Amino acid sequence: MADAVAIKDGGSAAVKMSEGKFGLGTLSQETLVLATTVVIFLACALFVNGFATLPNISTLARSVSVLGILGVGMTVVVIGRGLDLSQVAVLAICAAWSLKLIGLGYGLAAGIAMGLGMAVAIGAFNGFAISIIGIPALFTTLASGTLVYGIGRWLMLDGIITYAPDNQPFLLALGQGEVLGIPVPLVIFAAVALVGHFILSRTSAGRFVYAFGDNAEAARLTGVSVRVLTIGQYAFSAAVAFLAGLVTAGSVASINTNVFSSSLIFDVLLIVVLGGVSLSGGRGSIASVLAGTALIGTLLNAMILLDVQGDVQNIVKSVVLLGAITLDRKLHPRDEETARQGDL
Amino acid sequence: MTTQNREEPMLRVVNGTKVYGGAQAISGVDFDIGRGEIHGLVGENGAGKSTLCKALAGAISLSSGDILLDGQKQSFATPADALRAGIVMVYQETSLIPTMTVAQNIILGREKYMTRLRGMYIAAQQLLQSMNFHVDPTAMVSTLGAAQKQMVEIARAVHHRARLIIFDEPTATLTPEEKLHFFDLIRRLKAEGVAIIFISHALEEALELTDRVTVLRDGERVHSGPTMELSREILVKHMVGRDLSQTYYADARKPRAHGARKKKVLSVQNVIMGKMVRNMSFSVYAGEITGISGLIGSGRTEIAKVVSGVLKRNFIYGGMIYLNGKPIRYRIPRQAIADGIVYITEDRKLNGFFETMRIDENIYVGRISTPEGRTMLLSRKEQSRVGNEWVQRMKVRAINSRARIIELSGGNQQKVVVAKSLVQNPKVVFFDEPTRGVDVGAIQEIHDFIRSLAAQGIAVVVISSYLPEILSLSDRILVARQGRIVEEFSSAEATEEKIMYAAIH
Repeated sequence: MADAVAIKDGGSAAVKMSEGKFGLGTLSQETLVLATTVVIFLACALFVNGFATLPNISTLARSVSVLGILGVGMTVVVIGRGLDLSQVAVLAICAAWSLKLIGLGYGLAAGIAMGLGMAVAIGAFNGFAISIIGIPALFTTLASGTLVYGIGRWLMLDGIITYAPDNQPFLLALGQGEVLGIPVPLVIFAAVALVGHFILSRTSAGRFVYAFGDNAEAARLTGVSVRVLTIGQYAFSAAVAFLAGLVTAGSVASINTNVFSSSLIFDVLLIVVLGGVSLSGGRGSIASVLAGTALIGTLLNAMILLDVQGDVQNIVKSVVLLGAITLDRKLHPRDEETARQGDL
Repeated sequence: MTTQNREEPMLRVVNGTKVYGGAQAISGVDFDIGRGEIHGLVGENGAGKSTLCKALAGAISLSSGDILLDGQKQSFATPADALRAGIVMVYQETSLIPTMTVAQNIILGREKYMTRLRGMYIAAQQLLQSMNFHVDPTAMVSTLGAAQKQMVEIARAVHHRARLIIFDEPTATLTPEEKLHFFDLIRRLKAEGVAIIFISHALEEALELTDRVTVLRDGERVHSGPTMELSREILVKHMVGRDLSQTYYADARKPRAHGARKKKVLSVQNVIMGKMVRNMSFSVYAGEITGISGLIGSGRTEIAKVVSGVLKRNFIYGGMIYLNGKPIRYRIPRQAIADGIVYITEDRKLNGFFETMRIDENIYVGRISTPEGRTMLLSRKEQSRVGNEWVQRMKVRAINSRARIIELSGGNQQKVVVAKSLVQNPKVVFFDEPTRGVDVGAIQEIHDFIRSLAAQGIAVVVISSYLPEILSLSDRILVARQGRIVEEFSSAEATEEKIMYAAIH
């Protein structure tokens, strides 16, 4: 009996300790980010001319949606302790190829299906290279992104810009339409976020993603088929990127493949990490991405309205990213032993 | 011998104690060694030999106690400090850099700002020749054999003008002939006044080579004295020497009905995996606890991993494994789990549990990874049912099954790890060090649970370094040594001495 009491005491001490140490991070990194967003949003509404207007809010929602959709795909991969840098190449090339095929008269459904098929194939290849060949995710996706971009520009597409074919109102609606006054991109973002949330929190595949990201070897020993899982994650990420590509195409009636050389992937990582999805895997949720997206969207929009120079914008984004990663490292150290010091 | 040095030893450890998270690795150990002395350090796995030597070599620092070198108190914060004081440790896994040449490795850490390649090679050549080592100083270390690597390590120690060299199991990788050369070298170093600490499981070697021997057991010094007064039997007695505990465990061992042999479930025949498992054969029976004893590196963990699909045995001439008479070969653990074979890891923090998850989530992950528990959608009801059931069955002490696993004590974490595997309805269970880092009360509960598993007709294999554990649990005890099963004892005939004797060469 005596040692049962002792264990209980030890237990509550450990609880207290962990609250002191981790409370700020696990409990409220999202909340913290959301609160910051609200503050910035209100500040902008008060002090920035033209921020709190309906057209601007609508623009903000549209511009943030593509980022958020990509972020959902990235989140699933990052929770599984991975990284997908090929998203933007998939977005540009697969969506542009879809537009081209539709323009050539393949029909809307067939064109989209082929673009989606290509995206999923690229994602599956990423997963294969990472889990079966064993190339680190960083290099696999960096290389496969460049590879896809190169092949697409060289063999599949005709120019830098691929225009959406005329008389395809559905495509344009993806980017420009409204449902009950809500911009369609935002609706798609919400749908993707819901699907991502459902997969992560309600399906066994989602639970395995968390398990794998937390401790890959333990997941393997427990009987999770980690290779299939990894392939599935990257395929999902690529499919989502393709969808983001269609939304982009719809909003400006074309795809500019030069988006590959932009800092878009940087922004995606920014919103994912900022919201509290740990780069050391196993932690975070779709709510984290929503919080991160809201903050970065507001920040970027405000900076544009204030006419902040592009270089300064980059500086702000970089500092925020470094700060977020530092916070992540502080809260979830990668070294397993130090990570578990809290329970001793 | 070296009695004249005994009054003023070169190096002395007074009351050395090292605590790792509540557990004492060594406690109050006194140790001394004089110039030109070869000092053997023996003991079971986990007796504290490595801890003591790492403290001397500056790899770890003592929690309390002093290290005196020539009467001066030392505090080594890093291995470099110890190196400066002339203490070098030659580790079991060599610490050489494989992509550098022999000469580069020898001078590593003592480079000048500018190093002339030719000069370096000439110096290395002279050093190696002076010690009669036939190693090419320009050869890449990755191309060398185990013995040659050992030679380079030693040359490096000599080059650093070491006054004390610590060898951790130096002969394990050497052939008999290389061993002779190695002993010659040690004697020559001794003649030059270098002090040597020799850690070995090979008692004959320790008896042959050393001047004095210190025996550690459970982190304490149990014996220290001149080698001449010792014999193998006395050493083993000192190493094991738990006369009291042994009778206690003998009582705990219940007589079991052995009349009808149970069904043979698993048959391992001539299995080979790389260098760790050289030729293993044994059988496992339903409703029986098979204990596997052996030193670290004897292949006991590896064979369990091969059977359960964690590691793959050699593809050609890898031997056969039969489950209920059906040959099996698994690529991944998932397949083994589907067939009812689970392996419960020896290091729960490394690959046992998911630290971000709760107790019930951990157990539920185990459940849904099996063919019968497979599901698309998670069921919270099922999760909490499974969680509550196993928290009760394993007597996990937590507020409830929704507590985070990271907040539990080691023993309770271990129970969750066990539950995560047992929820998969196994027919064969491998427990690897089931009670490592577990508090005493929990040890008893885990042991009781293992016994109840066997009583339900499950084939249980327990791998443990701790002999009383093996003795009290097992119906049959196998002893592994150098990748082979070398002895089999029934629970009635086994004693700690017999097992130890078989486990060391």
